[in-house]
Amino acid sequence: MADRLTLTARQHVPPARQAAVLALGILLGLALATVVLTLSGVGPSAIIDEFVLYVFTTQSGLTQALTRAVALWLVGLAAVFALKLRFWNIGVDGQAWIGAIAASWVAIDDIGPPSIRLVLMLVAGAVGGMLWIGVPALLKLRLGVSEVVSTLMLTYVGFQAAQQLLYGPWRDPNTGFPISPVFDDPVERLARIGFGHIHQGIWIALAAALAAVALLQLSRFGFYAAAVGQSPRAARAAGIPVAATILIGVGLSGALAGLAGAVIVAGQEFRLTQHIAGDLTFSAILIALLARLTPLAVLPVGLVIAGIYVSGDALKAFYQLPLAVIQVLEAVILLSVVILDFFARYQLRLARPTVARS
Amino acid sequence: MEFVVNWLAATPGHATPLLLAALGLIINERAGVLNLGSEGMMLCGAFAGAAAALATGSPWPGLAAAMAGGAALAAIFAVAVVVFRTEQVVTGLIMVALGAGLTGLLGRDLTNQTLPGLRRLDLGPLSEIPVIGPILFRQDPAAYLAVALAIGLSVWLVRSRAGLRLCAVGEDPAAADALGLNVQRQRMLAVIAGGALCGLGGGYLALVSSQVWVEGMTQGRGWIAVGLVIFARWRPLLALAGALLFGAIEAMIPRVQAVGAAVPVYLMTMLPYLATLAVLVLAALRRRRDDEPAALGQPYLRQDRH
Repeated sequence: MADRLTLTARQHVPPARQAAVLALGILLGLALATVVLTLSGVGPSAIIDEFVLYVFTTQSGLTQALTRAVALWLVGLAAVFALKLRFWNIGVDGQAWIGAIAASWVAIDDIGPPSIRLVLMLVAGAVGGMLWIGVPALLKLRLGVSEVVSTLMLTYVGFQAAQQLLYGPWRDPNTGFPISPVFDDPVERLARIGFGHIHQGIWIALAAALAAVALLQLSRFGFYAAAVGQSPRAARAAGIPVAATILIGVGLSGALAGLAGAVIVAGQEFRLTQHIAGDLTFSAILIALLARLTPLAVLPVGLVIAGIYVSGDALKAFYQLPLAVIQVLEAVILLSVVILDFFARYQLRLARPTVARS
Repeated sequence: MEFVVNWLAATPGHATPLLLAALGLIINERAGVLNLGSEGMMLCGAFAGAAAALATGSPWPGLAAAMAGGAALAAIFAVAVVVFRTEQVVTGLIMVALGAGLTGLLGRDLTNQTLPGLRRLDLGPLSEIPVIGPILFRQDPAAYLAVALAIGLSVWLVRSRAGLRLCAVGEDPAAADALGLNVQRQRMLAVIAGGALCGLGGGYLALVSSQVWVEGMTQGRGWIAVGLVIFARWRPLLALAGALLFGAIEAMIPRVQAVGAAVPVYLMTMLPYLATLAVLVLAALRRRRDDEPAALGQPYLRQDRH
């Protein structure tokens, strides 16, 4: 039966078809997500209450979602830069940990004059993330080491480094809990902008999105990156500096992830805690892929994912559902999207008999 | 001396889950399918194993359920990558999230219950031999089974007709197709069988190593196995050697702490991950690229035949 169906790869996918398939994929994913939630005891009306009405029509829900979205926008952009170059940065969590550690270090050790302390924290975070991805990037370019495993291994190393600090020199002297002392000094915090808990990090993330648009869609770098992502060999033959393009793009990916970590400690937690990163990587890739690697599309997609997280908090409080449920929702949505993409990329036809039977 | 004997005697217990997952991945990848979802499949195995062992009160049904759990997630993966030709890297990552999420969601009630564990094999006088007795003859049956599996798989892959077919599908699916092999079916079966072994590795973690279910208890071992397979150049016996090396590193961590050596705890727990990175660099320095199955990671489409 399967032999009667033939499959042809489409050379060109019409944008309308691509959009329709993406929309169908998201719808299927949401339907499956509803099934998962219903099986977990959250009925359809509760789903609409928690996921749609609360998050997007109440001020408290919306400000929470926007606050959450800041870090998700940054890591989503990080994934866009890496995936444009077909570099699998699955160490976003590790880079965020290192970024958070670097920013906390600046704050805890009072490095630099107070007037630029906050800037130093953010720069330290970005540089930390960039250095943390630099190792896998160089190992891939020089030796051909798969970045998939190396970026992930460094995530575990980054997490353990944070534990070493939090159970060691940075342990909170007042409570003894493995979290760092609070950054008391207002110069070590991103100020609130006067709308819920939303802090100045939102401007940083929006600026990063605009910079990404300029870099990826308007500049020569973006053209190079697209060429390298399509085919490094063809790009090299065309005289494009492949290694430099990969180093810059991947370095920016790490820097954005590190910046996300710094923004979380400077704007949300005001200390290094156990909950800086953990599921940022998968969210980042989900956001980047749903945004089809378009920087501006990262903003609405990231906000929706942030909304899922905010409702996840409500589910945890009211239905005793663990946060793992969010991972399941994210996974089924992305799975539906990548599976349905099949119908954009391939053409299915029923084979007609080609040989005349005698 | 006693330290060394204890350390080496604990090594196989740490090596077995890595070895089982690595063998599963070798079956996957030899058929040309890159399975990065092993972490999720191990978690499914650990959860299913824990649930079944608690329900039946015995570890063996638990291990069988662990294989089923890993295979169930692998079946989803197989349908996606083989039938719908999804990008294998992304799909693998989705499997990690799905496995971690589902087991976290379903495993809430299982947390912190002691599981019926697997008893060590009693080999009588053999286990009384000094030094080699505790190291070689006081392990649990699953560890011996894993070693036998590695040896069996290494023979099966290159000596049996079915094994050669599997490798043909991973090296050159077009040629395999022309020979009349059903590429898609071979790959589906390979992915599901490999997922079952990953699940068994996870089940071993829950039922033998720790005898308790904890959310996210694999702690990256599925990923370490991915690195291990590259290091082992897709050969089961080299995977056995690599798993013992990593098992030895893992087994050392609690022992160094127990002796009271002044080594920072969390720098020690970094070791398995740094070691994985190191062996990947070593493998790359050797530059034996031709060991990698030629069609690894590529979906097969009949019209693309060359």
